[in-house]
Amino acid sequence: MCNDKQKRFASPFFVGLLLPILLVLGCVGDESYPNRPILLICPWAQGGGTDRVSRTIAAHLEQELGAPVNVVNATGGKGVTGHSRGLTAKPDGYTLMMATLELNMMHWIGLTSLTVQDCSPLMSINEDYAALLVRSDSPWKTLADLETAIRQSPGQLTSSGTTTGGAWHLALAGWLIDVGLRADAVNWIAFTGAAPSLQELISGGLDMVCCSLPEANALLESNQVRALGVMAPQRAVGYENIPTFSEQGSGWTLGGWRAIVLPNGAPADVRQKLATALERIVTGQTKIGGVSYPDFMEQQGFDHTYRTGEPLVQFFQEADEKFGKLLTSEAMASVRTDPFSPMVFPITITTLMVIVFVGLVISRHPVTTTDTSDETSQGSEQRTSHNLPAMFVVVLSILAYWLFAETVGFVLISSLILFALLVTMRAPWKWTLVITFVFPVLVYQLFAHGLRVPLPQGWIGW
Amino acid sequence: MFEGMQEAIQQIQIAVPRVFELNVLGVIVASSLYGIFVGAIPGLTATMAVALVVPLTFFLTDIQAIAAIVTTVTCSIFAGDIPATLVRIPGTPASAAYANDAYALTRQGRPGYALGISLVFSVAGGLFGTLVLSLAAPQLARFATEFKSYEYFWLFVLGLTCAAIVSDDSRLKGAFALLIGLLLSCVGLGTDFSAPRLTFGLDPLITGINFIPAMIGLFGISEVLRNSLAIGSNTNSTNESSTAGQNSEASAIQTVLSVMPLAIRRIPSLLRSSSVGSLMGMLPGAGADIAAWISYALSKRFSKSPEQYGSGSEEGLADATGANNAALGSAWVPALVFGIPGDSVTAIAIGVLYMKNIEPGPDIFDPAANPQQTTLVYSIFVTFVIANLILIPMGLLAIRTGSLLVNIRRSIMLPVIIVFCIVGSYALNASYFDVAVMLAMGALGFVLEQYRVPLGPVVLGIILGSELEHRLIQCLTKSTDVREFFASPVSIVLAVCCLALWLSPLVSRLIWTDRNGKA
Repeated sequence: MCNDKQKRFASPFFVGLLLPILLVLGCVGDESYPNRPILLICPWAQGGGTDRVSRTIAAHLEQELGAPVNVVNATGGKGVTGHSRGLTAKPDGYTLMMATLELNMMHWIGLTSLTVQDCSPLMSINEDYAALLVRSDSPWKTLADLETAIRQSPGQLTSSGTTTGGAWHLALAGWLIDVGLRADAVNWIAFTGAAPSLQELISGGLDMVCCSLPEANALLESNQVRALGVMAPQRAVGYENIPTFSEQGSGWTLGGWRAIVLPNGAPADVRQKLATALERIVTGQTKIGGVSYPDFMEQQGFDHTYRTGEPLVQFFQEADEKFGKLLTSEAMASVRTDPFSPMVFPITITTLMVIVFVGLVISRHPVTTTDTSDETSQGSEQRTSHNLPAMFVVVLSILAYWLFAETVGFVLISSLILFALLVTMRAPWKWTLVITFVFPVLVYQLFAHGLRVPLPQGWIGW
Repeated sequence: MFEGMQEAIQQIQIAVPRVFELNVLGVIVASSLYGIFVGAIPGLTATMAVALVVPLTFFLTDIQAIAAIVTTVTCSIFAGDIPATLVRIPGTPASAAYANDAYALTRQGRPGYALGISLVFSVAGGLFGTLVLSLAAPQLARFATEFKSYEYFWLFVLGLTCAAIVSDDSRLKGAFALLIGLLLSCVGLGTDFSAPRLTFGLDPLITGINFIPAMIGLFGISEVLRNSLAIGSNTNSTNESSTAGQNSEASAIQTVLSVMPLAIRRIPSLLRSSSVGSLMGMLPGAGADIAAWISYALSKRFSKSPEQYGSGSEEGLADATGANNAALGSAWVPALVFGIPGDSVTAIAIGVLYMKNIEPGPDIFDPAANPQQTTLVYSIFVTFVIANLILIPMGLLAIRTGSLLVNIRRSIMLPVIIVFCIVGSYALNASYFDVAVMLAMGALGFVLEQYRVPLGPVVLGIILGSELEHRLIQCLTKSTDVREFFASPVSIVLAVCCLALWLSPLVSRLIWTDRNGKA
């Protein structure tokens, strides 16, 4: 039944699929930069502030450069994953990186050896400073109120905004030290980010939150939280009613940044082309749907200060020294140490596993007879029809993709995989050929062009 | 409360004509096709589908942008059931709860029926969730503020408990599977620590085990491995697929009609599971996933035929799929009321809302504060309803196409599925290591199934393990006093539920032997 159907379908199917592919093939082949899709690596997850900024910049860059700019969220490892991906990529201008201030922090605590020296900065596009927020119904109206409360009961009040040792934790600890308190005078509870911390704050589970103002925008607007101060040299644009820390007697400032950088060693003309495009974007000369980049940033409540060239390099250096001093100082020791050993949870789980396993072995006895008889009957049925080579080829195919896709390219490697699999599984020849040649190309076009999900390009740029 | 409802109805009357414009409806149709397409590809999540829409929303009007996001999510979450049903690869983690049941129905030759259930109950759950959202959002938002670290800790324990105890064979095996998942979730740099663990010196493991490739591996590759063992040398498989073919020849509309008796019978349980879904959806973290598992467990608990669960239970499939769609609507509640997203999709949506000059806050539903904004918010509700309705024809189309795939012989299907699994695990983070993770998890899944250890709890353990540990560490840093874990009424209720679930076999065994004795 199946065969008849296939015969009827095969020839028009074949021609119908080949035509669009040939058309697409004809469009490739232009030598000037950029002539293929560009990746923008975002080290944080979809939906966060960095992701939003990355996707907007990508849309504008795409318009300026005339080539697709795809955002890849390489998340995890507290930013290590993304930053290593972006900074160790081939410096051909086809991999851009949205670096964040964690690049100034990670190497000081031994998470990575990458530093700001390992990137070639194009432009920093955003600087948001830390702010200290409390619930609107809390008794603390000013920074001084809060300071007094902390002095009266050191170690009792709780705060969050990010994980232990994150930027906002440093910001709070820095202020505490600045006013003569210990860094652990406030108990820092690790949360994954500003949003869950703020939720905990309004649920009454925390006393204060330290994060940037745009992150708390909605709650500020609706008067559910109160900002006691912002750790910036001057009041933030759009938040002019919030006083700075220095107005309240502390000179402490700490801000985060986001910057577009390239891996070291990119050609000068590529750098120049990207720099010109970015310059036009941040000065509002490009519009998408009538909205320019600065307009977008203001609507989202983000700062859009930008720096380029020598001032940017200097800015990176200064930030790096500042974080280095903070992260290596004796006073900050409590900030660097995890509250619990990382092995507490895994050891608990393993112990439980051993107990359950023993339980399984013991409880298996009465059931054994039915179980084994079942399994043997299944087993004997399968044994007569085991196709071990097919399973072996499946495993090999996946291993092949893992090891060789990057060098060989998606289309070639998946054609090979499909061919090997179809032959081992004894598919009809006609279908083997059609699928081997057509399917990988279709999938590539679908993912890389239709869905903007980049696949490995390899030898033939596919 | 009553006044509030009247006002809501008034607002909806204003919003309806604004949504029923040709350019908005056009966007809805296009996004529903797109959403189904992305959702049906294993590895591509609803979150990714929405993130890809964001650059396009710059060109759209405010209502169009909202419509695009809402429709994309609704359709892609349903479409996640398609690969789960046909090849046992859950499109989203929320589908993992009933992947085995849906796939078992396919193997019985009823893929169209399984997908029909999934479609009808997704739509019903989605509509229920919307109703709850539009009538009670501000009141519901208060529920979310009851949850602090302790309550979240217990909620995660409850979700994991449900996953472990519903496993068909034995509770111990379920618990064992769950612990494997939890242990796997510990790999790498945890959220709260600055030193990686259990990486065995492998650098890529510092990031931990990504659950998307793990899920594709555990469910998909393990099944592929088992099928590849049986391929070519026995005629059984071709027989099986041709009977499947005959059954799915019934037209899609007939299929949905055949689901109707079940739907009518399940109205009370649909209300139950949709309510669970609506409540869970609001809680940031893992609302829809937990909702699906809890509803599944509840469904099994109240079922007259609990032995079918895990091997083709229509009831379990129906209840759980309804719950995860009901959760979608209520995920917008904390986003709209506090500006705090309930899940990663609403996190993206918030950005778009800001761009279109909607500022989340408690007065977002109050037309006196900003009439234009309130109309936009109510148009979100209206769009949810339309998105769920348009899901019916679009879903039927997808079911029809999907059921045709079952007819293709295995020697052709398997290689294609393998390539899709590879691309799916590679694509999300463009990571080759994830492909290796998928293979390793496939091998693990294959071995576990040989010993009849259920795979669902492993997946949920991987997904929720880091959240559970994170919340536990939070609670312990706040205070090492154990009494704090039972300090609030919500905590106590959740803790009692967990305990009751674990101990219920002892209790029911007592009752059962008692009855037996009498008989």
